[in-house]
Amino acid sequence: MESMSKAGIGRFLARQGILIAFAVFIIGFTLANGRFLSPENVMGVVRSSAILGVMALGVTFVVISGNLDLSVGSMMSFSTIVVLDLHDKIGPVLAIPAMFVMTLCLGAFIGFLVGYLKLNSLIVTLGMLSAIHGLTLTYSGGQNMDIADKEGTWFSVFGQGSALGIPVPILIFLLLAALLGIVLAKTPFGRKVYAVGGNGTAATFSGIKRARIVFLCYVMSSFCVAVAGLIQASRSLGSQNTVGQGLELDVLAAVILGGASLLGGSGTIFKTVIGVLILGFIQNGLLLVGLQFYVQFVVTWAIIILAVWLDIAAKRGKLLSTIA
Amino acid sequence: MSKMFLEEITMTLRTILTATAATTALSVAGAAYAESHSPMRIGITQNNVGVDSYQTTYENAFIAAAEANDNVEVVVLDAGGDVARQIAQMEDLIQQDVDAIIIWPTNGEAVIPAVRKAHSAEIPVIVTNSNIAEAGFDFVSTFSGPDNITQGSRSAEIMCDRFKALGIEDEARVVQISGQPGYTTAIERQKGFDDRLPEVCPNVTLVETQPGDWNREKSQQVMEAFLVKYDDIDGVYAGDDNMGVGALNAALAADRAEGITFVGATNFAVGYEAMERGEYWGSIYQSPVDDAEAALQSAIDLISGEELPFLNYFDTPKITQDNMTEFTKPVF
Repeated sequence: MESMSKAGIGRFLARQGILIAFAVFIIGFTLANGRFLSPENVMGVVRSSAILGVMALGVTFVVISGNLDLSVGSMMSFSTIVVLDLHDKIGPVLAIPAMFVMTLCLGAFIGFLVGYLKLNSLIVTLGMLSAIHGLTLTYSGGQNMDIADKEGTWFSVFGQGSALGIPVPILIFLLLAALLGIVLAKTPFGRKVYAVGGNGTAATFSGIKRARIVFLCYVMSSFCVAVAGLIQASRSLGSQNTVGQGLELDVLAAVILGGASLLGGSGTIFKTVIGVLILGFIQNGLLLVGLQFYVQFVVTWAIIILAVWLDIAAKRGKLLSTIA
Repeated sequence: MSKMFLEEITMTLRTILTATAATTALSVAGAAYAESHSPMRIGITQNNVGVDSYQTTYENAFIAAAEANDNVEVVVLDAGGDVARQIAQMEDLIQQDVDAIIIWPTNGEAVIPAVRKAHSAEIPVIVTNSNIAEAGFDFVSTFSGPDNITQGSRSAEIMCDRFKALGIEDEARVVQISGQPGYTTAIERQKGFDDRLPEVCPNVTLVETQPGDWNREKSQQVMEAFLVKYDDIDGVYAGDDNMGVGALNAALAADRAEGITFVGATNFAVGYEAMERGEYWGSIYQSPVDDAEAALQSAIDLISGEELPFLNYFDTPKITQDNMTEFTKPVF
């Protein structure tokens, strides 16, 4: 083991641990069910992962800046319900920007609390998880929201349309991933996000406006949530109030699975995308294999923990920690 | 400064006390006046209002029915799907010494100790919508709600009748999307369906069951996987229409909806509309308004000293494309 980490292959493994884990799962599931890798299935999995994926892109920024965002699930329910409701009231052309503005306001509010008031992000976003859920229920009166004329609206394009043979949700997810990947890796803003998360005090002394960076990360996260809500609403043209419930943990799992540190300062958009795909393929794979549902909970998390372990083991070149 | 503040507080307190005394005097007089008609106080702790339109409509109907009755005063609480909160709410209602408690259990097992506590405090407990586990039956006065096992059997019958009409009762293959695991309604509907289907259509195969958690989007994903896994699906049974429509959406997107018989339960507006479009075959008609009114009526009857059967079901008939005009479109 020790010698392997010094070899070239070791360095490759260290960088690509999560990709290797991903490949292992794909091979395993394909052996278990030949249809796992059929184009139809792969397309289906990526499309249904797109919603989670778009949200994970935004949360990646928040996590790298050293904070958490547990509010994205209920915020997504909010966006979905609002845009569906407004669709019939003011038409899709106005409903979409109106929903984006409302969702961005929620993100800005959280960003203000965590960034400028320096409140603990876990507490703030946990609180907002409940508060936004309450807001959504108040808005809808608890009723399911459905678009009346499902056949005659172009609004369905974001969730059900396809271009060049690729479903639109996938295109949106990949475009947004490319865009945010560039923002994070190549712009001064992206570097400041890493700096704030890596060492906030040092960042402040280097003249970085920490509060502003954190604020912008949450706004970015809420923007992604609005996009996810748009896809969700468009995909089913109707929704329950709890459509995003519990997604916050899946999103966080995907981001962490992609190798972002919960302590901030590390992670990339590309790896988050891999994390999202792993989660999507695990859930789909277990269904195809036909495992009994109760077992799926256990297996899903066993695989996630195994993946994180493989990633870390590859990074340090050893299976076990030296300080055991 | 602080002395003034104290004085101010004392003054305020005095005002409040005087006011309270006056109110008390008034209400005592009021009580004496209304002696024979003193309103029944009924508390309700619901499962999770807002999680779906059924529960929301139930709550609205319950409040409306209570308001329409001058002899009834209700304390309406919602556990938000949280067992611990529901237990605390039960304790609150016991403390308030209400005349009867209606509970829509968040979990059929975990609420039993709280129900038992109410029973020891001699407050009659009415379980509504989905029953608690058998271990708690001794502490419950009556169960008011739909018979979910019958609903599951009826769905199996609808499915089988349809297969017979299509002439595929000897080869049809069915997948099932069940409700939230561990939730009594889900377990009972599944049991009713699983037991009845082989009785009426012995040659139909139920190939797989996976939960859709009462969630349209989740069941859409489950159905997508089923469509990949099985080339031949003739019927889908979903534990409610919300999930049934999710499955239908998946089949429509894969261009395989034609030739699949979709049967659900708890007819929702979306299910009713899909039936109108001819895409969805049938369901079980269950009105949350009937459900809420039956629960309230059971409580009133119990307080008035009437004897009620332990299982006080309200009827939930079959609805299919053939007879749907006899039913009004659900409001939820």
